[in-house]
Amino acid sequence: MTGQATTAPSTAIRLAGVSKTFSTSSGDVVALDDIDLDVPEGGFVSLLGPSGCGKSTLLRVIGDLVTPTAGTVEVAGTSAAEARRTRQYGMAFQAPGLMDWRTVRRNIELPLQVQGVGRAERRQRADEMLELVKLTQFADHRPRQLSGGMQQRVAIARALAMQPRVLLMDEPLGALDEMNREHLQRELLRIWRATGTTVVFVTHSIPEAVFLSTEVVVMSPRPGRIASRIPVDLPYPRTDETRLTDEFQAAERHVRERLHAVLEPSTAGL
Amino acid sequence: MSALAPAERPVRLPRARGRGLLVPLGPAAVLGVVLLLSWQLVVLVGGVQAYLLPAPSAIAQVVVSDAPALLSAARPTATAVVLAVLAGAVLGVLASVVVAMFEGVARVVLALVALAGCAPIVALAPIFNAWLGSTSIASKVAVATLSVTIPVVVNTTRGLLAVSPTHREYMQSVSASRRQLLLHVRLPGALPALFDGLRVGATLSVIAVIVSEYFGGTANALGVLIANTAAMSRFDQTWAAVFVASLLGLSLYGLIALVERLAVPWRSATPG
Amino acid sequence: MAATRTAPRPGAAVAPPAAPPPTARQPRRARAQVGRSLRDLATSVALVAAALLAWEGYKALGRATGDLVPFTSLPLPVATDDAAMPHVWQVVAALAGPASAASDQSLLAYYLQQTSVTLREAAYGLALGAAVGVGLALLMRQIPWLGRASMPWLVVSQTIPLVALAPVVVVWIGGAGFPSWVAVTVISAYLAFFPVTLNTATGLLSADPTHVELMRSVAASPLQTLLLVRVPAAVPSFFTGLRLAATASVVGAVVGELSAGAGLGIGRAILTAAYYYSLAPANLYAAVLVASLAGVVFVQVIALAERLVLSTREN
Repeated sequence: MTGQATTAPSTAIRLAGVSKTFSTSSGDVVALDDIDLDVPEGGFVSLLGPSGCGKSTLLRVIGDLVTPTAGTVEVAGTSAAEARRTRQYGMAFQAPGLMDWRTVRRNIELPLQVQGVGRAERRQRADEMLELVKLTQFADHRPRQLSGGMQQRVAIARALAMQPRVLLMDEPLGALDEMNREHLQRELLRIWRATGTTVVFVTHSIPEAVFLSTEVVVMSPRPGRIASRIPVDLPYPRTDETRLTDEFQAAERHVRERLHAVLEPSTAGL
Repeated sequence: MSALAPAERPVRLPRARGRGLLVPLGPAAVLGVVLLLSWQLVVLVGGVQAYLLPAPSAIAQVVVSDAPALLSAARPTATAVVLAVLAGAVLGVLASVVVAMFEGVARVVLALVALAGCAPIVALAPIFNAWLGSTSIASKVAVATLSVTIPVVVNTTRGLLAVSPTHREYMQSVSASRRQLLLHVRLPGALPALFDGLRVGATLSVIAVIVSEYFGGTANALGVLIANTAAMSRFDQTWAAVFVASLLGLSLYGLIALVERLAVPWRSATPG
Repeated sequence: MAATRTAPRPGAAVAPPAAPPPTARQPRRARAQVGRSLRDLATSVALVAAALLAWEGYKALGRATGDLVPFTSLPLPVATDDAAMPHVWQVVAALAGPASAASDQSLLAYYLQQTSVTLREAAYGLALGAAVGVGLALLMRQIPWLGRASMPWLVVSQTIPLVALAPVVVVWIGGAGFPSWVAVTVISAYLAFFPVTLNTATGLLSADPTHVELMRSVAASPLQTLLLVRVPAAVPSFFTGLRLAATASVVGAVVGELSAGAGLGIGRAILTAAYYYSLAPANLYAAVLVASLAGVVFVQVIALAERLVLSTREN
């Protein structure tokens, strides 16, 4: 599996032996230790774990915002650095990070401007994205006039504007209340299935990880390692009813056990 | 006055919705009227000699009767002030962009500039008079421009450097160049700070021009008028000139606030 | 342009790494801070040296082109002959030289003496203005309608040139028989009053509502709430106002001395140096330099006090 077309879904992201050590004024801290991970094309992978497990660092290593001290990162057949240079990534963060001085539409156009896309095409693409996240009527509003959830939808639209291969998301729904959060989870799944992008999603919420993902990667802290990889075989589209099914509850229980095993190694479960 | 950090920017009046500023200004207007009336009474009834402390009514009279003279004296002063604000804004922004590009030394440069702002800039007036001529408007503009440039540089540089980590990471993730970061994120993000500095600079500009006019200016300027009428103990005329100078300061402040509203509309956008 | 890639500082956007025990942290951090301060000092010295070089460079350029902008026939804005722009060392020499033909004192010592008079006036004015300002701010907090009514006027005071009244104050107080230093102190005081009042009043209003609610829930008296919650919340703003007031009071003192004409003080000395400019141009620069440095030092003393008070609060 080295980037050639195969019958099985190809690998969008491959991490091999990735380690990251930070030198701080108080000594060396090993944030990631020998991480191996494959993410298939079109997959939705959640990184789940307690704080300090390195999930955000791992996300940024994948996105070439942090350089690993060891190991390799391959994205769509090239290095992470090359992927970022050729703008294969869309990123969304915990704070929407929209520019106050631009309208919603102009915010979505920003990456296209950076890419050098012409005005007419930018506008068209932005309108498509607005429709995708269902915010067309707010195109000329300013970010401050929108609620937190709506701002995050704009941030997602912005991340998808360049039609990236990979969408990296760092707890984007963390600041929202429960109802908005579940609503946006459904929206995110809809958008993902419409665009076919590969998604790596950082979260510390078990139900969120199980609801959204094709695979949940549980990480352990200090140093950051992958403790378990749990495929979630529930069918899409997943709805609120899905949350009530036995299969969903079982998957959640399984992930919860693995997570508790990571937190309290002395009381490791079955 | 020293250049102000963004956190210390001039306290602004609350923006009231609906009925505009009228509602919160009600009590202030009442207080103002009360103070004016007390002043009037103290002078009239308390037997304070008119030449020491003129009554508001006397001052108002002078303002009305001397209006043409006051306005013609205000013209060179206002011209110097406006030129200085424009020049200071341009110079300040250019300098800020240059300084912000060298983040390593930016901190130190900022500290030095803020330090320079603590000095009584008006003390430089005689030097500029020697260089550019004491009766020319150029020397006044020069001192005032310096007074404007300093707070503009301090505030704008801080604004340029204060990129939110989320914005910075985002621009990195889309592989934006340094120039693109400057153009699309730093500069628009620094506009509010620029206007903070400009508002401070505007007040300092008025002070600088008037005080340098004390050192000698064109025969007909507000500062010269104030100094001369005070020397002749014609205090009603002095107060009238000070009043006009205050109006100048207020109008300038209002003008800048207006321009800010147009250039930085998102600052006053009401949250959804 | 190639994208620049900078690894984010650890802890900036990624989860903070677990901290090792505190005892291991201190020496390394202290060393790093000392290194940074030395670098900053070196950079400052370098920048000042660069500025002085620019001065001499401009002079040299003007001498070479005959005071014209190179390659044009436009005159340079400022003449570069020694009368208009003394050399840096000429100014230094003037400071080291005698204050006047009749005195043994160096010019520098003389100017420093005058400056101390000015700074004393500024300090008294600052203290007076700040005291009255804090008083009014407390009153504004206790009497809400007074607070609401005065705030807009305080805000407006930032935009009007109060210093324009200096000549009036000087003549008044001189006419009332007081020496000119009283007038100067009064001017400093009223210039200091406004920023202190405005900032302190704003600070008193900025107390965390959660803390205020806490006090109410334990049935604290208004005085207790004031002393335990509101005043501490106002301290940072007070010092901001004090710092602004310090600069204003120095300006006020200098302008007051200019208007007074007679008496002591560095403002007066600048006026004299300006009057005798054609005889000794370097003196004017020397006087202005001393005045500027004095103003800076004065404000920095206040800033230092601010840093001390605020850092002890952090504990």
